[in-house]
Amino acid sequence: MVLVLSLISVVAAALLALVNQITSGPIEKINAETLANGIKQVIVGDEEIEFTVSEPIDKDGFLFYKVYNSDSELLGTAVKSTDGNAFGGNLVVLVGFNPDGTILGYEVLEHAETPGLGALAVTWFKQASSASDKKQSKFVDILFGAPGKAGNHNIVGMNPADGGFTVTKDGGKIDAITASTITSRAFLRAVENAYKALFTDGNVDNVSGATVQN
Amino acid sequence: MKNFKIILNGILKENPTFVLLLGMCPTLATTTSAINGLGMGVATMFVLICSNVFISLLKNLIPDGVRIPCYIIVIASFVTMLQMIMQAYVPDLYKTLGIFIPLIVVNCIILGRAEAFAAKNNVLASLCDGVGIGIGFTLALTLLGLVRELLGNGSLFGMEILPESMRMLVFVLAPGAFITLGLLIAIVNKIKN
Repeated sequence: MVLVLSLISVVAAALLALVNQITSGPIEKINAETLANGIKQVIVGDEEIEFTVSEPIDKDGFLFYKVYNSDSELLGTAVKSTDGNAFGGNLVVLVGFNPDGTILGYEVLEHAETPGLGALAVTWFKQASSASDKKQSKFVDILFGAPGKAGNHNIVGMNPADGGFTVTKDGGKIDAITASTITSRAFLRAVENAYKALFTDGNVDNVSGATVQN
Repeated sequence: MKNFKIILNGILKENPTFVLLLGMCPTLATTTSAINGLGMGVATMFVLICSNVFISLLKNLIPDGVRIPCYIIVIASFVTMLQMIMQAYVPDLYKTLGIFIPLIVVNCIILGRAEAFAAKNNVLASLCDGVGIGIGFTLALTLLGLVRELLGNGSLFGMEILPESMRMLVFVLAPGAFITLGLLIAIVNKIKN
């Protein structure tokens, strides 16, 4: 009995190791591509300009990628930030800040949020806020309101230093994703922590220091 | 002919979602849109077919006392493989389905078919059973996703169809899953009789 069970486990483990060996290359490549595209997206956007990205600078678990234009001027810094208390565990975001702290853009790199609800965080916080101010009663709104558009939830162009960088339910000025407050809180926490990590302990240039290697 | 009947049996007479009511957790949770339902269905079908074939092959080797742990090892191995393959080759779908891929391990359809069918039948019949039940599950999840996406998000496979004023969030949320599933089961029952 034990023999058969052990035998099956050993064969299964060997097969898994084989598949892992085949897929780990492509997975790493995809992750690297996602990160590189993300860094471009959150700092430069869709513009076609030349830029260079510094080697990652690690500070308390936050990774900073500094982006320079062709004249070696700092365009902004992309910060990889993780929040472990999202609805489905880890939420990893890449946020781009310009040198004075204004958010240029963000990309969600990894998440395990509910499809159709918390997973909307991927686009929710950069969607232009809609004009509809029609306030419905809460119950009706939750059941029959249209998901995902109304409200003020575009963080691009905001600066966390201005305060109120939290969901309206907690007294902030950003509307949470409908029915996904936990995800929204985790997302905003990740962004705010990225900001704090980047801008405390002196200004940006001190942080970058001598570690920038191009 | 007999094998064709087994496939048909899984799609219609013993449809895992509408008739057997198995695997309700992924059914209700992942069908917020048609593409998610389809992806989840195909992923489950892959694991189901592989585990059915292997368990049928191993059925004379596995002693009765440890059969459940053995099945679980076989199923969990295929799910882990699927997870790695999806991460490498369809990263977008993997990102959307997220947590529900590893949870296929505990999908009761798969263990149920292993115990009820694959452990008693030959390899070919078990393969057909996996294909049939898999297609039945995929069709059911896609249908459920279609209805919920259309009513909740106003779109079909991501294409916007209904204006914003006609969308009802409740269908994307958990209660909408139960309401839609209940109505679909009623319709299927009506058609079958």
